[in-house]
Order: sequence, then structure tokens, then C-alpha cells
Amino acid sequence: MAQERYLPARGSGALPGHPREAANLADILERVLDKGIVIAGDIQINLLEVELLTIKLRLLIASVDRAREMGINWWESDASLQGLEAGDDEDGRERLERENRELKERLDRLEQRLGLEQGERHEESSRAG
Amino acid sequence: MPDELARWAAKRAPELLARAEAEAVAELKQALLEAALRTRQGDRRAAPEPAAQPIASPSAEQPVPRGDGIWAYCVTASAEPFPEGLAGVHPAGTVERIEHDQLAALVSRVPLAEFGEEPLRSNLNELEWLERVARRHEAVLERALERATIVPLRLCTIFQDEDGARRMLEEQRPALTAALERLTGHEEWGVKLLVDRAALEATARDLSAEAPAREEEIDTRSAGGAYMLRRRLERQVREDADRLAVSVADDVHARLQDWASDAVLNPAQNRELSGHEGEMLLNGAYLVETPKVGRLGELVDELQDRYRALGATLELTGPWPPYNFVPRGVDAEGAALA
Repeated sequence: MAQERYLPARGSGALPGHPREAANLADILERVLDKGIVIAGDIQINLLEVELLTIKLRLLIASVDRAREMGINWWESDASLQGLEAGDDEDGRERLERENRELKERLDRLEQRLGLEQGERHEESSRAG
Repeated sequence: MPDELARWAAKRAPELLARAEAEAVAELKQALLEAALRTRQGDRRAAPEPAAQPIASPSAEQPVPRGDGIWAYCVTASAEPFPEGLAGVHPAGTVERIEHDQLAALVSRVPLAEFGEEPLRSNLNELEWLERVARRHEAVLERALERATIVPLRLCTIFQDEDGARRMLEEQRPALTAALERLTGHEEWGVKLLVDRAALEATARDLSAEAPAREEEIDTRSAGGAYMLRRRLERQVREDADRLAVSVADDVHARLQDWASDAVLNPAQNRELSGHEGEMLLNGAYLVETPKVGRLGELVDELQDRYRALGATLELTGPWPPYNFVPRGVDAEGAALA
């Protein structure tokens, strides 16, 4: 490292009493995967989507539950992490599943009614009324 | 009436479908996580120097992409000095500079057999591959940072050729220039607050006005009553400790934030990747004016002293490429998105 310091360093480097150590993997991944300016290249890989979920979840899952339990939840405004909500919180997940079931059922009913409406308009209208 | 129903249904259907889709995605995430955790079991931490073999494994039906792509690391002003001869994310290319109208991108060649869309997708989910590439990407940025103000690009910004990178510099000029201006003369530093849970609970117990009276009361009770009371006291102490933790994290962050030009809070890290001891109460990134950085170390030491009784450790890392202080993206006109 030292041999290439032919130009004065712009940054301050390590601080007294705080020697620079090799960065841990979590420090690097949370930055390179989640931060930094996103510019669409010619190779289209969307790091915000499914491709990296396994890794992103590994980064977060172990810490999120405990932190939230303690009332620490300041990252929850981060849209890219919102997807984790459902899986983290059992009540929330159950609620989501129930809501989703209900919505699917409603959707089925609606589709049926619409189907009926086209074929059997009169009958449907009398029943809906 | 049926018309009304049809209109209502047509209006609601997209939303209902979107919700169903969101649920499907949530289930997929869960499945992916379970799969990831299964693979992870047994190999505690990745070796410090992972094997050098690429893990490109396009399936038999997929033709292997040929040729090279251009991997971009960061953007600087072209007048800035440039670290020559740096190794890139792949041995196929050393770091070069592409200049366009006073902006420059640091790039290196990468073989599409490993970095093309399909192979990349599977490689990114291999932690060893990801670690190697992420560390090399980071190493290039850190070297560039020693000499210049840089705008770090998200991992996997890859162009077909040098013209692609040049076009990016042209199209994103407003956002890139604005980011460079904002970052000039600043550094990103990371601060984490870790505490020892036992010390935290002991302090919470000491601070509690009720604990001594409760302890005395326990002694006067029958075995069953004492047990119930003890359980309640323990729960109370745990809750007090949690509140204490939040107030300590708030105080540390507030003091650093007051002092920094900008601050970002990130989720506590996964112990498996970070290897940290104790409980991580704060994981913040702070943008600090370079002349004020010397004071940062002192401030961190002072805060650590203040909370020493909790077994508190403040961990200072940096200077980092300013990942946390660049816009998340740019729109079609090249203006920054928040």
C-alpha cells in the first residue's frame, strides 16, 4: 500500500486510536448492494429485486427481529426493505395471509359475477338488486 | 346495476391483483431465505481469501455469452488524479479510465461468460463469488477515494462497451455533477454502537426505583408467589433495558448527527456476516467535512466513555466511499432521485 502513495491522500485515513481494520463483509455488502448510485447499465441486473434477496435477507434477517423488539425501527421508512415486513412479524404475516385469502375469494366471486353478467344478464341483475 | 358492478370490479381488480402478487412475492422470499439458510449451515464464515475459480455455470441449454463487458466502479471529475495499475473485479482487466467532457468513469473489462446477465444472476447468489467481487469493487473505490472525490456506483453496473459507459456519463451528467459537488470535501464514516446485554440489564436494574422493593417482597412470598413475582420483575428489567438501549442509541446518534453534514441509519447487521459481539444498537453512516474528521475519533471516544457502564463499544470505520450519501438513482432526464 505504502509504495503507491505518490500523491497526497485526499482523505484523512485512519484516525489516532482507531486503526483501520479490514472491513467486515456485512459492512461492505450493505453498502455495495444497497447503496451507491443506481444507473442502468447495458447488462440489466436489478439488485433491488429477487436476484439478491437471499443475500439481502441474510444480511438483515438475524438483526431485524431483535431490533424491532427493542423498539429500534428507524430503517422502516426504507422502501427497499419493506418487503421484509410480512415475513418478520408472525401476526403481520397471518394477517396478510388472511387478507390475501379474503381478497382472492372476493376476486373469484367478482369474476364469477362478471362472467354471469355477460351470459345471463337478466338473472344476475335481479339477484344483485 | 351490472354496469356499476363492472366498473367497480374493473377499478378494484388491478389493486386486488397487485396485492395477490405482493403475497406471492413474500412467499417466494420466505422460500429463498429458507433455502439460503440451509446452504449456509455448516460453513460458518467464508474463508478470508476465497478460491479464485469463477463460478460461472450457465446451464447446458444457454449459449455461453462471449466477449467482454465493461464494469464501472465510480465516477470522478476527469481533472482528478487516477490510481493506475489497480486490479479489477476480474483478472481479465485492470482498472482504466473513460473520460467524457470533464467527467471520468473508472472501469475494467469483465468476461461476459461470468458477468453476462444469466451467469451474473446465479453468481450473485453465491456468497463466495459475491464476497470476492464486492471486496475487489470496494478495494478499487477505496484506492480512488485516497486521491479524488468519487461517486460510487452500485455493484453490477455493466456496459456492453466503452461507448456505453461514455453515454452514461453524458446522460447522467446533471446527477453525477451534483453528487460530486455535494461530496467534495466530505468523508463518509461508519459508527456502530454495541452493548453487552448483561451489563445493560444490570444498569437497568440499578436505575429502577421499584426493583429493590420488589426483591424484598419476593422474599416474603410463598414459593409459587415468589416465582410469579420474580418472573414479573425479570420482564420489567428486560423492558427497562430495551428502553435504555433505545435512549442510548438515540443519544449517540443525535450527538454524531449534530456534528455531521448528513447522517443515515441502517439496520443492525447480521452477526453471521459481521461477527460482532454484543447487541448492535446503532449502525449509522455520517458524512463529515474532512477538516472535522479528526474530532470524530475524539467524539466517539467520549461517547464510549459515557456509556462504558453498559459495556458499550463504539466502532468507527472509514473513510468509506460515500455510498450512503449519493442519490439512489437517476431519472430519464439525468436528475437525481432521492
